[in-house]
Amino acid sequence: MPDRYSDLRRRDLFALSGLSASVLAAKRADASAPALYAPTAPVSVAKIASYDEDLVAQFERMFDQIGGIGHLVRGKTVAMKLNLTGSAGRGRRVGLTAGQTSWVHPNVVGALTAVFAKQGARRIRLLESTFRKQYGAPLEDTLLNDGWDVEAIRNAAPMVEFEDTNGLGQGKQYSTLKVKSRPYIFPAFSLNHAYEDCDFFVSVAKMKNHEELGITLSMKNLFGITPELLYGLGPKPPGASQWVRERVFHYGQVPPPAGVPQEIDPTSNRYEGWRMPRLITDLCGARPIDLAVIDGIETLIGGEGAGMPGSKHGKPGLLVVGRNCVSTDAVAAATMGYNPRAGRHEAPFRVYKDPKSHPPEQLIPPGETHQYADNTMLMGEAAGLGTADLSNIDVRGVPIKDAVYDFEARWKGQAPV
Amino acid sequence: MTWQPGYALVLMLRIRFLLAAWFFTAGSCAQGWTGGPAAWVPARWEGGPLEVARRAGDPALAKDPSLREAIAGWYDPATLALLQNSPVNCLLVTFSAGAARDIETRQHELIQEYARRAKARGLAVLGIVYPGAEPSAVAAAAREARLDGVVLDGEFPSEGYAGQLERALLSAGAGATVIPIAATASSVRTKPAPLLAVQGVRPSARNLADMGIRAGASAEPWIESNIWLVRSFRLNRAGERMIWINQAPKPSLVGDYIRCVADAAVAGGRWIVALDDGLRAGLFRKEPGALATWRSIGTYLEFAENHSEWRSFVPYGQVALVLDTAGETPDISEEYLNLVARRHVPYRLVLRSELSPASLAGFQAVLAMDLDPPTPAERKTLRDFADQGGLVVAGPSWGDPPKDEPYAELPVGKGRVVVYKDDPPDPAAVARDMLDLLAPEVMGLSVFNVASAISYVSTADSGRRVLIQLLNYASVPANRVTIRFNGAFKTARLFTPESAPVDLAVRRTANGRTEVVAPKLIAWGAVLLE
Repeated sequence: MPDRYSDLRRRDLFALSGLSASVLAAKRADASAPALYAPTAPVSVAKIASYDEDLVAQFERMFDQIGGIGHLVRGKTVAMKLNLTGSAGRGRRVGLTAGQTSWVHPNVVGALTAVFAKQGARRIRLLESTFRKQYGAPLEDTLLNDGWDVEAIRNAAPMVEFEDTNGLGQGKQYSTLKVKSRPYIFPAFSLNHAYEDCDFFVSVAKMKNHEELGITLSMKNLFGITPELLYGLGPKPPGASQWVRERVFHYGQVPPPAGVPQEIDPTSNRYEGWRMPRLITDLCGARPIDLAVIDGIETLIGGEGAGMPGSKHGKPGLLVVGRNCVSTDAVAAATMGYNPRAGRHEAPFRVYKDPKSHPPEQLIPPGETHQYADNTMLMGEAAGLGTADLSNIDVRGVPIKDAVYDFEARWKGQAPV
Repeated sequence: MTWQPGYALVLMLRIRFLLAAWFFTAGSCAQGWTGGPAAWVPARWEGGPLEVARRAGDPALAKDPSLREAIAGWYDPATLALLQNSPVNCLLVTFSAGAARDIETRQHELIQEYARRAKARGLAVLGIVYPGAEPSAVAAAAREARLDGVVLDGEFPSEGYAGQLERALLSAGAGATVIPIAATASSVRTKPAPLLAVQGVRPSARNLADMGIRAGASAEPWIESNIWLVRSFRLNRAGERMIWINQAPKPSLVGDYIRCVADAAVAGGRWIVALDDGLRAGLFRKEPGALATWRSIGTYLEFAENHSEWRSFVPYGQVALVLDTAGETPDISEEYLNLVARRHVPYRLVLRSELSPASLAGFQAVLAMDLDPPTPAERKTLRDFADQGGLVVAGPSWGDPPKDEPYAELPVGKGRVVVYKDDPPDPAAVARDMLDLLAPEVMGLSVFNVASAISYVSTADSGRRVLIQLLNYASVPANRVTIRFNGAFKTARLFTPESAPVDLAVRRTANGRTEVVAPKLIAWGAVLLE
C-alpha cells in the first residue's frame, strides 16, 4: 500500500500548511506587498437576485471593476469553456434546469457572448467536452437538452461557434499544450484545437461543492477540457474504472495512450484527492485562464451533480469575476463561507468516498470512507499561478462579508436554503 | 407466407377476443347502455355504510368526523351533480365486501336507488367487490341494482372467483360483466378481453439523491409511469381493447390528478379516477378549491376523450422489443419495456411466439433479452437480421459474452450483435446503453429537455401522420422542448389540455429530419406532424 504522504515535495508542504511560497515571500518583506511568486488581480463580486436581471449590464460593470477587457478581446477569438457537469447524460433534478443547479446558466452565457461582442471580439467559441456516446452529438444538442435557446446565443454576436471538445471536433489533430507553470503530474496535455486557437480564454464555471475536491470553481472547470475520446484510447484493464478520464486522471490506473504526453512520475501517489488538485493546476498551467467567471446565482449545494445524496438546490445570488483564476476562486470560496486557505480534512476538503463508486485502493486505510482532498487553490498558488491569500487580493464590488452564503451550513441543514 | 405454429395461437387468441367483444357489447346493450364498455370513462365513487365499515381500521377515517360523514353520505343524490358536464360516465361504487349482512343489505339498497338515478342520467354503474364477498349474494344484489358490471378489487382467495361470479350473475339473470383488476400485467396481457383493468403505479418523478440512492452527475429523475404498461397491452395494433389503470394518486395535488389522467391516456388507456379523502370531503362540502380540482380532472379527461381518434394510431418504433409472454421472469421483461421507454427510445413489441423474418421487417434493431436462450430457429432469424445490417441486442446466452466490459459488440455480416455479460442484463443499463448503440436516425425520435418527461410516438395513414406525445412528470413546466423526427413533414400542431391547438414552426435539419420546438409543456402535450 502506498504511503499517501510519501510523494510530498517541498512545494506541497508549503501548500498543505497554508503557507505558500508567495506568502512566505510576502511575509519576509512586507505583509502588504504583492506576492513575489504568486500574481494577483482584482476580483469583482456582485449580488444578483435572478437570472432575469440585466446580466449584460452587470457583466459590463464587473469587467470595468476589474480593469476592463475590451483591449484584450477586440478583434480576437474568445473561447469560453462552459461548465456543463454531467452533460453526457441528462443530469437533472425534478423541476429544475441544469442551469439552476450543476451547469452554468444560459442567461449567463448569452450575456457574456453579448458583452464580448460589444467589446469587439471577432469570434466567440463556446466549448465543453460532453458526449460519451458512440454517436457523438454536436454541443448545441447538449445545450438543447437543458432547454437553452441556442439560436439566441448564436445571434448574440456576429460569429458564434459551438464545439464539443471531447474529441477532435473541427480540428484535424490534437494540440499539445505544455504546462507553463511548474508541473505536478503532467508536463503537457493533448487537447482539442480550440484551446490553442484562441486569444482570450474564459473559464465560465458554476459555484458548487464537489464530491471529490470539496468545491468546484474556475480552476476545476478546466478538467473538462481533456478529450475523453483521446485519453480513452487505451484498453481498459480488468478492475479499472469504467470511466475513461477517471482511470487515467483521477486514479492513474492506466497511462494515457501512446503519443500523448505521459506522467512525469508514474510511480507517484495514485490517490485522487492528491492527484486531482495537482492535475487541475497543471491544466490551468497548460491552458491559462485569461478571465474567470463564476456563476453562483443559483446552484447545487453538497455536490457537483444531480445524483449526489444530500445535495440541494440553493440561491447564493452571486457572480464572481476576475482575471486571475486562483485569486478569483479564493474570493469565490470565501463567499461560499469557506476558508480559501483551508487544508486537508478541513471544510470543504474533508470528503466522503462512496465505496461502491470508488476503486478500493482509494479508501485508505481500507474501507475508510472519510478522506481528504488537497486545496486546489493552494496548489495553484504554490505553482505560481496566483495568490489565494485574501489579504493580497483586491476585492471590488460587494465586500466578501456582505456576500457570504454559507454552503456548509446549508448543506448540513443548519441554515435555510 | 408459410404456416408456423405461433400463428395458430395468435389466430385462436384473436377469435376468442372477437367473441368476447361481441358478448361484452351485447351484454351492455341489453342493459340499456348503448356506449358499451369501450366508451366508459370510469371513476371510483366509493361510499356508504359498507365503505365506512370496510375502512374501520383506517386512522384517517377514524380521526376525521367530516371525512366519515362525506364517505357515509356519498350516495346522497346530490353527488351526482358533480357528474354534470364531466366526461366521467361510469361510476365504480362500493358494493360488497363480505361484511355483516345488515351493512351489506343497507349498502345494496342505497346503491339500488343511487344507480337508478345515475342511470337516468346516462351513467353506467359498476359495483366494486372486495375479497370476502359471496358470489351468489353479489349476483343477486347486482341484478336487483341493475348494475352494468362488477369490478373485482383485491386478492381473492382463488383464481376461479371471477368465473364463479360470472356464472352466478348468469344464473341470477344479471347481465353485468365482471372486470377483475389484475395485480400484474403479465397475468392478463394476452387475455382475450375487450376491457382489462390492471394495477398501475402512481405517476411521479423523484430525484434519486432524495431517495437515498447515490448516482452520478448525469443522474436523471426516477419516473414512475404507466405509459409503457398501457402500450404493452396494445402490442402493435391500434386500440383494439381498452385498458384501465387502477391506482390512487398522492393526496391533494392537482398536478398529480391531471398526470394520472394523462399517464393512462397517452397510450390510449384510461385511469380509473380515484379521489383522495381530502378531495372527496371537499367535494362533498362543495368547497371551491375541491371543485376547481375536480374541474381540472374533467378538463384532462375531456381532452383525452376529444382525441379518442389517437387510440387508433399504431405504436411507432424502428426498434423491436421481443416479449416472451410465457417467460419465467415477467418482472424483468417488463422492466425493459418500462426503462427503454423512459429513455425515449420508441419501440414496437414483437411477441416471442410471433418472431419470424417477416415480423422483423421494417425494424433496424432488435432487443432480444427475453430469448434466454434463443432456440435454433430464433437464433437463425436474429443472425439473418444482423447479417442484413440490423443490430441485435442479446443476453449472455447468445454466446461469447465479454469477461470484463458490460457488453461486447460482435460484427455479423453487415450488422452486429451486442452481447451482454450479466445474466440477466440490468434493464437500466441496457436502456441507457441503447442511446450509445443506436444512432438518432435509428431511434427515429430525438427529444431534448425532457429529463422529467416520457414520450410516446404513434402513427396513422401509413406514417403520413405522426403523433408525438409527451408527459411531463415534474410539477413545473418544461420550457423549449425540441423534437426531431425522421422524415419531412409540412405541418406540426401542438395540442394541450390547457390551450387551443398551436401551429409550430417546422424546420428541416441538415440530415433531412423534421425539427419543431414546443415552447412550454405543463404536463401533457401532443405534437401532430403531417
